[in-house]
Amino acid sequence: MSEEDPISVALKEEQGSPHEAPNLPVGQWLRKNLFSNWANAILTILGLFAAFLMLRGVLNFVFSENREWVAVRTNLRALMTLSYPESQYVRVWVSLGFVVGLAGMSAGIWSDWGGVQVRRLATWFMGAGGLIAICVIVREPSVIIGTDGKVVRTVEGSPLRESFVDAMVDRSGWWIAAVILLATGAGLWSRFSRPVRGRRPRAELPITSVVFVGIGLLILSLWVVPYGHYAFISETKSYIAESGRTVAFSTQMPWTVMWVLLGLAFLVGRFLRSSRYVGMAKAGSNMLWLISPFALFWVVLRDPALDYGHVISTDLPMGLAFGLLGGAVLWLLTRSNIGEVGRVAATALLVFAVFNWVAAFFGWYPMLQKARISFLLLALAALLAPNFIGEVAKRRQLVLGWLGVMTLVHYLATMINTPSTVDLQSTEFLGGLGLTLFVAVIVVILSFPLGVLLALGRTSKFPIFRMLSTSYIEVIRGVPLISVLIFFSVMVPLFLPDGMELAELAAVLTGYTLFSAAYLAENVRGGLQSITKGQYEAADAIGLTSAQRTGFIVLPQALTVSIPQLVGQVISSFKETSLLAIIGLFDFLRVANSVIPAQSEFMGVKREGILVVAMIYFFFNFIISKYSQRLERRVGLGER
Amino acid sequence: MASTAPPSIHHERPPLYRDVTVVKWVVQIVALLLTLGALWFLANQAGDNLRASNVPTDYDFLSVNPGIDLSSGIDTDPDTGGRALWVGMVNTLRMAIAGILVATILGVIVGLARLSNNWLLKKIGTVFVETLRNVPLLVQILFYGAVFASLDRVTTDVGPINGWLHISNKGLSMPRAHIADGFYQWMIVLLIGLVAANFLRKRRIAQQDATGEETYPILSAFGLIVVFGIIGWFVHPIFGFVGKIFETLSSAVSSVPETVLQLVIGVLCVGASAYWIRSFLNSRRTPAGLAKLTDDDYFRMIFAAVGGVIGAVFFLVLWPGLSSWMINSASDLFEVLGNKFGNGRTGRPFDVDLPNIVQSGKFPNYGPSGLNFSIGFAAVFFGVVFYTAAFVAEIVRGGILAVPKGQTEAAASLGLRRSTALRRVIIPQALRVMLPPLGNQYLNLTKNTSLAIAVGYSDIVQVGQTVYNQTGKTLPVVSIWMFFYLSCSLSISVIVNFFNVRMKIVER
Repeated sequence: MSEEDPISVALKEEQGSPHEAPNLPVGQWLRKNLFSNWANAILTILGLFAAFLMLRGVLNFVFSENREWVAVRTNLRALMTLSYPESQYVRVWVSLGFVVGLAGMSAGIWSDWGGVQVRRLATWFMGAGGLIAICVIVREPSVIIGTDGKVVRTVEGSPLRESFVDAMVDRSGWWIAAVILLATGAGLWSRFSRPVRGRRPRAELPITSVVFVGIGLLILSLWVVPYGHYAFISETKSYIAESGRTVAFSTQMPWTVMWVLLGLAFLVGRFLRSSRYVGMAKAGSNMLWLISPFALFWVVLRDPALDYGHVISTDLPMGLAFGLLGGAVLWLLTRSNIGEVGRVAATALLVFAVFNWVAAFFGWYPMLQKARISFLLLALAALLAPNFIGEVAKRRQLVLGWLGVMTLVHYLATMINTPSTVDLQSTEFLGGLGLTLFVAVIVVILSFPLGVLLALGRTSKFPIFRMLSTSYIEVIRGVPLISVLIFFSVMVPLFLPDGMELAELAAVLTGYTLFSAAYLAENVRGGLQSITKGQYEAADAIGLTSAQRTGFIVLPQALTVSIPQLVGQVISSFKETSLLAIIGLFDFLRVANSVIPAQSEFMGVKREGILVVAMIYFFFNFIISKYSQRLERRVGLGER
Repeated sequence: MASTAPPSIHHERPPLYRDVTVVKWVVQIVALLLTLGALWFLANQAGDNLRASNVPTDYDFLSVNPGIDLSSGIDTDPDTGGRALWVGMVNTLRMAIAGILVATILGVIVGLARLSNNWLLKKIGTVFVETLRNVPLLVQILFYGAVFASLDRVTTDVGPINGWLHISNKGLSMPRAHIADGFYQWMIVLLIGLVAANFLRKRRIAQQDATGEETYPILSAFGLIVVFGIIGWFVHPIFGFVGKIFETLSSAVSSVPETVLQLVIGVLCVGASAYWIRSFLNSRRTPAGLAKLTDDDYFRMIFAAVGGVIGAVFFLVLWPGLSSWMINSASDLFEVLGNKFGNGRTGRPFDVDLPNIVQSGKFPNYGPSGLNFSIGFAAVFFGVVFYTAAFVAEIVRGGILAVPKGQTEAAASLGLRRSTALRRVIIPQALRVMLPPLGNQYLNLTKNTSLAIAVGYSDIVQVGQTVYNQTGKTLPVVSIWMFFYLSCSLSISVIVNFFNVRMKIVER
């Protein structure tokens, strides 16, 4: 992506100017927009015909008597989490609750969401009502089911259909819904467009409450509409629909709690926003977003059987030692009169830390893995230390950051090394939509630093670094993701030294992250190229080191410029998680494509499940892309 | 006498560990060595592990019968592993080329629909784009595959136009036009026609420029090609002698001694690097003599020299089989060409076969004579076409919006008709903006065809996977994939760049 990509600029300018259409009378509007000349009229008629055919096809497909939506309904749980044990489900809900709460709080803290005009809302209502009405009319009359429960057929074998009038009567429920929506919309519209005392009321509702009520309605439907329930039979390793329990009874309560939590967290966020802790709250919520995927992963998958003796004798002292001693070292290294000694000490630490890893490969002396990691991190922090020399506040920042990192690393390392008591019942780890979301989030988070590093390498003045990162990026971008994933899932065991093993998911995550980083690097590079030379020179003129120049001047601007591309990258990362299904992981596409059609009741029922998967993907991607357009307008990208 | 001499500026060299140049190169070389070391370590480990499990990483499987059947392609029962992979490559390329053509057409239509004044068309275009680009391609492919798989079974007479078109859960079968006996000789006639037509076109243009008369240069050139094609249809056997030439070439090539070729390759490597260094030094030459070379310049020259020497050593010592392989395959190629152009081939250039349905086992299936598209092909084809078309539509829309409105108005004020303005003013400018992202989309499409593995269409990845499942040669197969896809990427970028250069505004 070059710095001035005219296409995205042009598209942005178009969507950035929401021109309020003047309210023409219906006849004039039709003439202007549909029948302005002969060619236009013909196109309109053709378009109407095509739209009619498409809509009718989709509706007939969805409501056909051959569709077995019950396969999806009874397998909803499999689609979401595959065979995660029901007794441990509270872990999933707790994690989800955490994320929901965090989301609500962040929404409260961060954004002034603005409002939506009631008239706009009214058009949505009317649009929905009109769409339902059109769908009801367009759909073919249903087939007649005989008393034996089978489709009544004519002599030629084609199914007998009811008459048009009967069909309309049968669908009276839909008619009522359509009429209610239309009436509500029209009522709101006329109420808010009639001038009151010479002025038209410009009533606006906050977007947040509209969204909140919308989600509330969706959750209310859980209490009313049957969504289905399924059970995993461990003896036969199969998924069975439990008869008689067609209501999603197990999810009503948790979802309602989530909803309440969302509202409360939003209020808390709003409160924090107006309080004086707003800066701290923002930093805190950012940190939580970064950490939570990793932490929640352990919450969901592991019920660690901690050996408290070991924890007290080894883990805790070690963590404390690294935290406190390392903190002390960093404190010393940031003294203002440290001079060259600091750099020498940091280099020595780095040499020692790297040497630990070399020694590990040859088995010269034993050392806990987390000690090696901690030493390496300490060396990196020591290298960064010169940036924090000076005031006490900055030095404290560094030491506090170090303590935080150590806590996290030692906590995670201890948790990883403890055997889990969650019985996953099958060899597959978390599956379904959970797996998809997990992989997408982890890949986006992990590939970000790597991608930025690669982009910096590709634009660096050091020819060898430039060469290495350029060839890496170009090779990875030249091959399809599926071959990279196959390579990693098949080949990684071959590359590891004896005795080391890597779970398949970890191998795939590695490959996916490396792949995604190459694309991300190109997006960031576009941003880097848009930074003018003056910025570099100004940074040099005030005496910044090159690390400070990159970290405080260049990268912030470059990343802001590349936000649209980065969001696009997030979307495509999320879409490409579907490839996990090919290499043998049970993401929710695989559940829809292979697991459900293999169940004895739903032999070969594929299309329904895939359609639902497509809708879920669409939902997420559409929301992300709409949000990114908002974000672009907010950071003022369109207005350069 | 007051000391007025300026204080001497004392250039004290900084200590070694603070010297920017030294630190820069030490860091880089250490990083390079670490990278190479890590790669060496991994390769070593993989070699050990492979030897331990008795799977040598050689390419022998390319000439051994893999014992696999492919679902579709030019050869569904390949007799060597190499042939199987070749079939896979042809399938991938077929899919990619067909997909690029259709996706471009569809994308342009949708993109224009989104720009039209017609409200309904705009909305239909928006729904198309938003739906298709937000649903992962793999999901779409699987869905189309599932839909096609639920079509009716093949019966001995099925299809809208009996005997011409069959649609069933085995896919689609339709008449196939294919190259026949005399095609290659006919192509020679056509080639001559092409040269003549180009000559004619240039002359007509010159005539038009000189006299101002309309001389229809393009039309007359096309007419000439058609005339040549028709004449060639009947007279092409006279070019049978071309086969003789190729046969002679083949025997001439096979008599080249291997050592000579080997030496030539080595000398070419060293020569290329020497040439590069010379031209680099020339570019640094100023009227006042050679400019001061920076450390980066020295690095480049050293790099080129080392690269040339390593290349020479590699081809001379480490890969001595290269020259014999080159000689053999070149001689084989000429022999095949000699056969294709040979004297005995006097038939028609093209033939058309109607599809047939055969019943060898329990169920009837399509016979080989028609052009058959398996449901795998159809699923992947519709998947990549619709998915890419959504992106192409956005590119087209953005490209046209990127042309300033003043251009349209200026064209109108010159009195150009709307269609002329579109053809001569708007589209050339929009194309220039659209080409780079379009090229990117074509690349993506080519890579996306690898998702064929999900519906069992035999593209290169699917065939490769079958091959390494049979033989255990994962690493060689993966290397072939990488080589293939990288060459595809390279060729597409070369083509796009070619048009890009031609499209550029000619500036002062």
